[in-house]
Amino acid sequence: MSSFLPAVAVLLVALLCLDLHSRVASAPICTHGPSGCHVLSLADLFDRVIQHSARMHSLSNDLHSEFEQYFLPSKNHIGKIYHKCHTSSILTPNGKENAQKLAREELTEVILKLLMAWRDPLFQLHQSMAHQQDFNSFSSNKALEMGDMAHELRKGVEKVAERMRVLGMLGNSVTGLSAAEAMLPISDSGEAMSNYELLYCFRRDSNKVQNYLKILKCRIVPEHDC
Amino acid sequence: SFYSPRGPHFTGCRSREQETFRCWWSAGIFQNLTEPGTLRVFYQTKNALSEWQECPDYTHTVKNECYFNKTFTHIWTSYCIQLRSVRENITYDETCFTVENIVHPDPPIGLNWTLLNVSHSGLHFDILVRWAPPPSADVQMGWMSLMYQVQYRVRNASHWEMLDLESGTQQSIYGLHTDKEYEVRVRCKMSAFNNFGEFSDSILVHVAQIPSKESTFPTTLVLIFGVIGLVILLVLLIFSQQQRLMVIFLPPIPAPKIKGIDPELLKNGKLDQLNSLLSSQDMYKPDFYHEDPWVEFIQLDLDDPAEKNESSDTQHLLGLSRSGSSHVLHFKSDDDSGRASCYDPEIPNPEDLAALLPGHSGRGDNHPLVSRSSSSIPDLGVQQTSEVEETPIQTQPAVPSWVNMDFYAQVSDFTPAGGVVLSPGQLNSSPEKKKEEENEKKIPFQLVSDGAYTSENTARQLSADVPPSPGPEQGYQTFPTQAVEGNLWNGEYLVSTSDSQIPYLLPEAPPVPILPPVSGYTVVQEVDAQHSLLLNPPSSQPAICPHSPNKHLPAMPTMPMGYLTPDLLGNLTP
Repeated sequence: MSSFLPAVAVLLVALLCLDLHSRVASAPICTHGPSGCHVLSLADLFDRVIQHSARMHSLSNDLHSEFEQYFLPSKNHIGKIYHKCHTSSILTPNGKENAQKLAREELTEVILKLLMAWRDPLFQLHQSMAHQQDFNSFSSNKALEMGDMAHELRKGVEKVAERMRVLGMLGNSVTGLSAAEAMLPISDSGEAMSNYELLYCFRRDSNKVQNYLKILKCRIVPEHDC
Repeated sequence: SFYSPRGPHFTGCRSREQETFRCWWSAGIFQNLTEPGTLRVFYQTKNALSEWQECPDYTHTVKNECYFNKTFTHIWTSYCIQLRSVRENITYDETCFTVENIVHPDPPIGLNWTLLNVSHSGLHFDILVRWAPPPSADVQMGWMSLMYQVQYRVRNASHWEMLDLESGTQQSIYGLHTDKEYEVRVRCKMSAFNNFGEFSDSILVHVAQIPSKESTFPTTLVLIFGVIGLVILLVLLIFSQQQRLMVIFLPPIPAPKIKGIDPELLKNGKLDQLNSLLSSQDMYKPDFYHEDPWVEFIQLDLDDPAEKNESSDTQHLLGLSRSGSSHVLHFKSDDDSGRASCYDPEIPNPEDLAALLPGHSGRGDNHPLVSRSSSSIPDLGVQQTSEVEETPIQTQPAVPSWVNMDFYAQVSDFTPAGGVVLSPGQLNSSPEKKKEEENEKKIPFQLVSDGAYTSENTARQLSADVPPSPGPEQGYQTFPTQAVEGNLWNGEYLVSTSDSQIPYLLPEAPPVPILPPVSGYTVVQEVDAQHSLLLNPPSSQPAICPHSPNKHLPAMPTMPMGYLTPDLLGNLTP
């Protein structure tokens, strides 16, 4: 034991002499641009964001199918009652050409608006699904995951937009980025939308987001046959 | 809707690339409406709350088809279409949908296969199937992300094998049989949607079987025979080495065993035998005696005169105060180590003897029963005289009455504290009378040196004046043995000499009637093989000296015959 005492003493002295005010912080790796390290390219960023949106849309489709199968068996697969979604007020391009004709800034803005509009409704959806006894835990977990994905996707798209602005791809006429606001899912009659309506609407909007991102990427990052 | 089969109704709406779509209807059984133009399609897009508009393009080449081109196709928009008869102003059918939900992609193109490998046996092969996405679908931009499904079957079979959905444009098929013709086809759908498109055209896959030179038959046969031979060998080995294997795998459990005892006897033996057996074990004997608190070895000792001043145990026992004039029976506890029985005793000092003569009262420290030095043990042949101190009786009126007591003292009671209460032996009528008798009575005797009681002979002679009366109430009995030879003890004993060597014998000592031996005190004659003590019979034959061989006690020179101590008992062997 006596042999350990000098080592312990040295260690104590060393600890005392250390600068205790030094803080641990993450230093940016790539401080000098692409020469020093590997920076994620815009194309890679877009790919990641697009993958994420695809997963989100797949989840929404699964939930919607489950709901349709177990709760609304009377509906045939063609005839759908028109649901007015709360995001209908957002003007979105209805086709590929329309989306291609839209400016990058506007397209980005639309994407961000959509994602922002779904932040609270998705949370409400998960809450109501978790409380209802009809849904099993698997479905409510999917709803929760969906909400998280929407949140992450929004963050990702914001990063992409930031990168585009830094790279000068977005003009100064971007006004909508800060104007994205949360919206309450209220139907025409003023009542809260049902779970099925929410699922229906989100499925549609997630498909929109996915396709818009693809179009945007094709326009920002020029590839062959794009 | 499709729920009115009789009248005119829509038969379906489809989009191939999510940019345009078509709808078809049928006139049904109403034959008068089959003419073109009688039935018309109106549509409404729900998001704009627009008016009902008529079909933008009735396809000329196809009957009863309405085509919506890119201009009129709005994705993520609900459409409602109606089938009307304008003339009658009847709406026969109506349906609503959104375009992305009616997308059925075109089938993939360019389906082909390549051989991956053929198995060693030549019976199976694997292939890789490739295709290209439908050209109408804009997959480069990602407007449509497709998932593909490959199916195959043996040609003209009824059941198609389905593989998992594939997002790429190639897939492997494993485990196909040679010499069989297979059909392979593929279809696709939009990912996250459930509408499959049409199947592509099937392709034929066939690999001819290469006849292998080596036959598989002997190999299998050799393997089977080898296994059988091995099994037979193993069985033979087990049967031949059965005993050894049993010992190795199932070792025998040791039976319970006590050393020196036959387990069969334990099972079947009688209780006596068991008791004797168990008691013969060494482990039992020493504890028995050590725990016995009542056994005390009161020893007579031939003390040195200097030791006479010490108070004896008996003094403490009887509660007597120690005084110089007290003629206390000087008991000295001595360890009962083995002593030779045929010792030459110390010749008593004639001065001492003289001092003990009656009349001599100076020596108050003399005792009526003199205990000489402990080292000397009187032999049978040698008589050691000791004097009876009469004078103390005369000159010491305060002599306790117990002095007149015979040499044996019976323990009559025990105090709660564990003390021993001795009952005085033969007390005569009056102390005075006793004294007179004592004056006349001088019983020379030889004292036992150590570790033993006095014999009955001496006891009798001590109390010769006492009329012996049988009966246990006296406390002890005296044996009317005549001679010293009746004494079985080898070593320590009190020998009363009836001879007139000592001039103090009472001549008038009445002949003591011979009484039959009764219980109370008994001399242990011998210990037989089963460790039972054989007591002294009435007409006991003398076993004088240990030199006379006693076959039951072979090599016991140091054993006092009258009393067996426990550790001496341990030396006895059955």
